Amino acid sequence: MTSTWLSPRAGPAAGSAAPKWRALAPSRFGAIGLAELAPLLVLVGLCVALGLLNPSFFSFRNLVWGVANSAAIPLILAMGATFIILMGSIDLSIEGALSVGTMIVALLCANDSNANNFGWWGPLLALIACTALGLANGLVHVVLRIPSFMATLGVWFVGLGIGTVALGGSEIRVLDRTIRSIAFERVLAFPLAVWIAAAMFFFALFLERKTRFGRYIYAIGGGEDIAALSGVPVKRTRILAFALAGFFNGVAAVLAAAQLGQANTTIANGRLFMTVTAVVVGGTSLSGGWGGIANSLIGVLIVAVLANGMVLLGISPYVHETVQGLMIIAAVALSVRRGRSLIVK
Amino acid sequence: MLELDKISKSFGAVRALRDVSLEVRPHEVVGLIGENGAGKSTLMRILSGSMRPDAGAILIDGRQVVLRDPKRANEYGIAMVFQEQSLLLNMSVAENIFLAQEKPFMRLGAIDRRRMIEAARACLAKVGLDVDPAMKAGELDFAARQMVELAKALALEDRTDAPLTILFDEPTSILEAKDVAMLFERMRALKSRASFIFVSHRLEEVLEISDRVYVMKDGEVVAERLAAGVSAPDLHAMMVGREVKGEYYREARQSPPRADVVLEARGLSVAGAFRDVSFALRRGEVLGVAGVIGSGREELTRTLFGFLPQTSGTLLIDGRETVLKTPTQAVAAGIGYIPRERRIEGLVTDISIAANVTLARLDLAMRHGFIDHKREKSIAEYWINRLRIKTPSAAQLCRNLSGGNQQKVVLARWMAARSHILILDHPTRGLDVGAKEEVYDLIRDLSAAGAAIVLTSDTLEETIGLCHTILVMRDGAVTARFDAPARAKPKQVALLEHMV
Amino acid sequence: MAGAAAQQVSFGGLADRLRPYTPLFLLVFLIAGVNAAEPGFATLTTLSVVLSDASILFILAAGLTFVIMLGGIDLSVQAAASFASMIVAELLPRVDYAAFPATVLVGLAFGLASGFVHVKLRIPSFIATLAAAGVMTGLSLLMEDGRTVSLLDQGREESAWIAGAWLFGVPNVIVIAALVGAGGMLAQRYTRFGRYSAAIGAGEPAAIAAGIPVDRYKILAFGVSGAFAALAGVVLAARLSSGSPDLASQLLLPAIAAVIVGGTAITGGVGSIGRTVVGALIVSIVRIGMTFVGVDIFAQQIVFGAALIFAVFVTIDRSKIGVLK
Repeated sequence: MTSTWLSPRAGPAAGSAAPKWRALAPSRFGAIGLAELAPLLVLVGLCVALGLLNPSFFSFRNLVWGVANSAAIPLILAMGATFIILMGSIDLSIEGALSVGTMIVALLCANDSNANNFGWWGPLLALIACTALGLANGLVHVVLRIPSFMATLGVWFVGLGIGTVALGGSEIRVLDRTIRSIAFERVLAFPLAVWIAAAMFFFALFLERKTRFGRYIYAIGGGEDIAALSGVPVKRTRILAFALAGFFNGVAAVLAAAQLGQANTTIANGRLFMTVTAVVVGGTSLSGGWGGIANSLIGVLIVAVLANGMVLLGISPYVHETVQGLMIIAAVALSVRRGRSLIVK
Repeated sequence: MLELDKISKSFGAVRALRDVSLEVRPHEVVGLIGENGAGKSTLMRILSGSMRPDAGAILIDGRQVVLRDPKRANEYGIAMVFQEQSLLLNMSVAENIFLAQEKPFMRLGAIDRRRMIEAARACLAKVGLDVDPAMKAGELDFAARQMVELAKALALEDRTDAPLTILFDEPTSILEAKDVAMLFERMRALKSRASFIFVSHRLEEVLEISDRVYVMKDGEVVAERLAAGVSAPDLHAMMVGREVKGEYYREARQSPPRADVVLEARGLSVAGAFRDVSFALRRGEVLGVAGVIGSGREELTRTLFGFLPQTSGTLLIDGRETVLKTPTQAVAAGIGYIPRERRIEGLVTDISIAANVTLARLDLAMRHGFIDHKREKSIAEYWINRLRIKTPSAAQLCRNLSGGNQQKVVLARWMAARSHILILDHPTRGLDVGAKEEVYDLIRDLSAAGAAIVLTSDTLEETIGLCHTILVMRDGAVTARFDAPARAKPKQVALLEHMV
Repeated sequence: MAGAAAQQVSFGGLADRLRPYTPLFLLVFLIAGVNAAEPGFATLTTLSVVLSDASILFILAAGLTFVIMLGGIDLSVQAAASFASMIVAELLPRVDYAAFPATVLVGLAFGLASGFVHVKLRIPSFIATLAAAGVMTGLSLLMEDGRTVSLLDQGREESAWIAGAWLFGVPNVIVIAALVGAGGMLAQRYTRFGRYSAAIGAGEPAAIAAGIPVDRYKILAFGVSGAFAALAGVVLAARLSSGSPDLASQLLLPAIAAVIVGGTAITGGVGSIGRTVVGALIVSIVRIGMTFVGVDIFAQQIVFGAALIFAVFVTIDRSKIGVLK
């Protein structure tokens, strides 16, 4: 190795063959190839194991209602979170946004608490409000120059506060049947919610793969200073990403209101945790730049299958949180690129 | 043609550039050399648009331009290939080449990936790099990445009418020999398309590739030569400017070292950094390690303080065999370290002088297991007086001290800790002349008191002036060993022969 | 040059010297403000209520202060406190008074574990502690299938002293908080742990290069945070005569707010337990003051969220952050 450092004393060798530039030896990157496949292997392994332990796991009914339907909201939330985490940031305000969004839907559509009946204006306004909260995240983070985890922590509680105040601490039932139909209407055997989640997935995938926005997200996560030197509009992209995450949160909020048929103070509990777990378990690096939307799909499915499996096997649902906590730690520990920075805070 | 006319730049009281004028003609490779701190990096930053000059003008084909930011510099045809490579390793080669330049590839709001890859392939062909543009940059080796950067710079051709000037900052420092040859071959081939400014510490290489060479020293251009007419030692003499004269380094106070060896290395190696380094450091001895960037001397000093444990060989401290795995172990073994990044690694700038002085050996300021603030204060005040640190009180935060006084606080910490081995990593970097001389005096004091010192420095003359013994390193190995007694100091040229 | 520098120091010096007292001014201003709006506020009874409330918050925030001073964050304090309330409720009938130290030790152990995960596995602290919070919440839910555990007669008797008052009618909660505060302040000023925490937070690379075993002290800080959080959980359980998996779930934000509003910077280095005392008082007065003036309890979260952002904005040291993530 060391001998190759010698600087040439003579000119380039005459008549040398055309240069062949190489990629690094495959041995070094073979490992990363495997690491990239790991989430998928985990998912497949999990499904096989569950299928063996309880054959009803593979029943069509369970796959549609137990896995796909319960993965719909987490998937939509994970789409927004993925863009944020790809930048090396974090959005802790998910539960706040959900709380605001479900509250707006429940209060504006036909409900058991007031005489409103604005139909689809509710979901639309919920989307706008959640996007605005996301925008607030981005502005606070970028303009006031506050680390995203702190900015979004603040907005989390602002959102939670707004949600609970408007509900007055009680729960409000959604009586509007068209809104509830989002959750129950079936199209080609799958509930509408699953189709909406799929649409959101492809929308996010398009943004990630095909647009400048997606490029810049990866560029910022890979090296913000380098990206800025190349002329990437870093601030604008960051703000946009947080607003986009807010939009996805809004879609998830509408679905949540439809699925549960109500808005209450605890509707959002545990959603942040589940979302971050899904994104990280899918293989998106918390330090940014690596992973993506497709990874998050797998991550969401892992979390959903695991939850479904525990129900099927009769394990207390309270174990979920503990398992998720351990999963986050394991996934992050395995994916941290050591030696990248000496100091972790 | 790119011209710089009397460019000046100051940082506070320090004048980094003073009336620097130079020109880059079409189809030319211009070499730029100088010691650390001569102003090369500042000049490159100004040219690449990431810094603005205080005075002077930049002209392109006779028209004055303002390089407001890197993007603007690009529009004027100036692109920089960075020393720390500036590719995003998580993105593909094509994405890197056209980062923030995706507009021409947009179709119906989506990036046409295939067209971008084709365009990237054309760019790569210009530099003769045969890799798949869809490959991640992180999967390429250093040499190929550098070629991608060059291709990225050349992609400017399609966006600007201005003549292309490509700035190369230390491009060869991480390359293997055959890759350097390849790079030079490419540069020669590309001279028909662009001009180059080539900054390097490797004088032989500068001479090999350049048509003309500018020599910088202390923020000024001190010489301009045709590469064909000079030799590397000539260039070095111009860079350094003077041979050692007089008593600047307190040579008269250089006392002979004692007999007992306190730090000994036998075949010390760190894979990928340096190999087979042996020396025996005695009490009162100052051992200099000379070498250019990449010679392994930086890693050697880090190894001696536990940042980078050796992978083979033996290290003996006071005769006991040791592997230093952490700085904590090094400190416990009686080693002190004065880093070159004073404000980052040297001092905790936001705590008091007293707390910094006792940081390594807090137990000296403790009584019954608790910090005795009175005792701590008296320790700090003792060292403030002894080293003549200028401060109103020991409770002052270190950030309020001048560079020289900060350096004295770092020294005071290790003296208070009674470290008998000191690693001085560029101890005078960034200090003004007066503060430097005070540090020289302190080094003589320490040596006379029996401390064993390992020293690296930005200039050869400082190394020669201060040390008893000098190891010269090149490419990770010790190539020569010089004795430097007070009255018979070796010449710089003699050392240089073994460095480059 | 020297003259200009000196001048700058004296100007900056005045602002710098006043800055740490801003929270104190805010505190006085708040008390005066609430009292002007509702003249019944500044009475001994309300004072006792405010102090009791601030005490629990302060105990929770005290350990957190050490973590934040190191430049990290602990998002698991509320989960640790709830977990502790469950443990102490379960243990009291079985092991009597030994339940108190045992619970605090469990908190210490979980804190050390999340510190270990953060430091040794190189996982950012907010995610390591978020995960730890999940683990602890899961365990506390699991213990009684998500139900609340009431302290039965025996447990009530043994924990009554916490909720009671021995000293001139001063609630013991306040006494405990005062002890925690005094201990914390002494630790910061007189122990290695305190000194090293400050040094690591202010300049981790320099602390490493001075030979400080940085990893060990970082892990310890998370342990302290866990132990204090558990203590807060014990006190809460005693006051409410029950343990519950979400007993303290509303306290994370006020606890972080107490630390930051007190003037400890999330970038580390700057801060102290003393500041957290002031911060906890401010937060409690805002809480109780708002209730007093008639602001909805839920609306207080909005105020806290916004106040937190503002306090971070004011205290943060941007020179320490290279790239803002």
